[in-house]
Amino acid sequence: MRKAFFYCVILCAIIFGAYKLSAKEPLYHSQSYVFGTLVDVSIYGETDERAQLLANHIFREFQNLHIRLHAWKPASAVRLSELGELNSAFTLGSKPMAISPDLANMLTEATVLSVKSNGLFNPAIGHLIGAWGFQRDEFTAVNIDEAAIKNLVHAQPRMTDLVVKNNSIYSTNPTVKLDLGGYAKGYALDLAAGYLRKQQVKNALINIGGNVIALGQHGKKPWRIGIQHPRQPTAIATLDLADGWAVGTSGDYQRYFMLGGKRYCHILDPRTGYPAPHTQAVTILVPPQAANQPQAGVLSDVASKPIFIESADNRSKAAQAFGIENFMVIDDQARVFVSKEMAKRIHWVDTSVKFTTLQ
Amino acid sequence: MLNSPLFNKLLAQPKLLAKQLLIGDWFVLLASLLFVIYLFNTLWSNEYATKVQIRLGDKIYATYSLNQQREIHVHGKLGDAIISIAQGKARFAKSPCHTQYCVHQGWLSRAGQAAICLPNQISLELLGENKLYDSLNY
Amino acid sequence: MPRDARNDGRVKILKLKPTHIQTTADDHRIAKLAAFAIALHMVEAVIPSPLPGVKPGIANIVTLYVLYQYGFATAAWVSILRVFASSLLLGQFLSPTFALSLSGAILSLAALWLAMRLPKKYFSTVSLSILAAFAHIAGQLLVVRLWLIPHAGVSYLIPIFALAALFFGLINGLITAKLLTKM
Repeated sequence: MRKAFFYCVILCAIIFGAYKLSAKEPLYHSQSYVFGTLVDVSIYGETDERAQLLANHIFREFQNLHIRLHAWKPASAVRLSELGELNSAFTLGSKPMAISPDLANMLTEATVLSVKSNGLFNPAIGHLIGAWGFQRDEFTAVNIDEAAIKNLVHAQPRMTDLVVKNNSIYSTNPTVKLDLGGYAKGYALDLAAGYLRKQQVKNALINIGGNVIALGQHGKKPWRIGIQHPRQPTAIATLDLADGWAVGTSGDYQRYFMLGGKRYCHILDPRTGYPAPHTQAVTILVPPQAANQPQAGVLSDVASKPIFIESADNRSKAAQAFGIENFMVIDDQARVFVSKEMAKRIHWVDTSVKFTTLQ
Repeated sequence: MLNSPLFNKLLAQPKLLAKQLLIGDWFVLLASLLFVIYLFNTLWSNEYATKVQIRLGDKIYATYSLNQQREIHVHGKLGDAIISIAQGKARFAKSPCHTQYCVHQGWLSRAGQAAICLPNQISLELLGENKLYDSLNY
Repeated sequence: MPRDARNDGRVKILKLKPTHIQTTADDHRIAKLAAFAIALHMVEAVIPSPLPGVKPGIANIVTLYVLYQYGFATAAWVSILRVFASSLLLGQFLSPTFALSLSGAILSLAALWLAMRLPKKYFSTVSLSILAAFAHIAGQLLVVRLWLIPHAGVSYLIPIFALAALFFGLINGLITAKLLTKM
């Protein structure tokens, strides 16, 4: 009898041990091509079935948002996007157009952020972006029409030209053309993070074309993000993202064309109308924000642009305007500058990287 | 039939097993089982492979991305072997070896998987990305 | 005639030497048991295996049985003889298969040499069989890794081999236990 009991105990131990050891890491990972870029959702600690449902919901939401916010009409599209309709109305005059409440909120928030950035983040320069050929699926060199660019800059399309009232909108400036390319991905990150939290998901990582937001952590370790080297096919450094933190990078290596040996990237300086020339990449790390403020995802998308565009002396100031303490800049000479806070968090993949800590 | 001695013997088997095994045997069995499970866990990754490395003899012959569709002819010790790559998988499609073990292994898709043709001295090993991070910011 | 007598003696010796090797009862036993092991080895070589390299190793039953009945030295003789003779008979002498067989046999003998020191009260043939099976596969993998294909590619196969070793080790151990109680 005692022997039988002993065998039972051992058997239980075997089964328990086997279960413990064979339990696979509960990490679900899914990729999809939305927003004209790769979207990557990792969910930790849920069953694969549930995680798949959640991820598919997120992909659908993103796709909807993408269709609504498309800034230009792709050859395949039958009709204009919601944003496209607004844009065509703006050119015709200042007659108010109906606008859905969430889009109105987005535009209001984008306006606040644009003002905060002294106009360096400016989603109203859609015509300028189009003139540079960045409103296409593929980027090829364009003939730079100096006069047209000068005119578009001179027309000063600004977010403050928009008037949003009672779910309708009009523009006091017919040259305003909205392009939410520097905002929509961040907004989508916050949307997805909010959805997952509402669904009681504790741990997830969402990456939309390089903008990443973290929920919880990857098991016992925080989520770890690799930061792309602007000129090499590897990561230059890694960062650990705590719960609710987001990271965003503006780089000259994703959307650009070469002309006469010169690189023209998609990040335009609204003051000159030309691509910002003196930066390769800016990476910012954003903590969770207060509920009534622009959220971490949006900030990670928006706040890297002014730092990218500003001249070397004004980068810190541009970061401060958004309360960004963690940022890294790689300039056109491939020199690496890191803010004091960022220096504490960043781990260099190649430990021989030389960098300057900004005070 | 049900009363046959053979059947009774079969019925008695589990009891027989329990009688045969001493405490130490159970211990060895438990330890071995945990060891085997540990081996499966550490050596069988779930990660999908991205590249295939082909070795000829003791040298790396070539490394190919799995993200393509192609056939590779490798001249081994016995003759030409054909290695197929398609949609994230790789396999020996043809081999001059007598045993054909390598061909019978079929498609390989996970990192760490390998097919080895000893007679022809060609081996395939699937490589995964050694992940430094969970996701890339770019 | 001392000379003739000496000659006679010499002739006698010359005549006897080639035909009469002094063999002991031990030798006969080893030969018989080895022959039995060889037979099992051959049977296994003919049976197709679902996975290359995975074999039940039923010849090890003989080794284990001999270890219990006649001690380690006899078991070692039987095991090594079996490896050499089988490879000669199968035409694999000095081939990779032979090297795998030999290294497996040597390591599994080493494991048995250590394991036979375990208290018999708690550890039966089953323990020894499982440990020997693991050592056997370890010996084979070592040869594969160091000599035949010197890179890490075999790591993927290790868990399968280990699982097979555990399973067949257990079965062989039980069969040996049964044989020992019957004979």
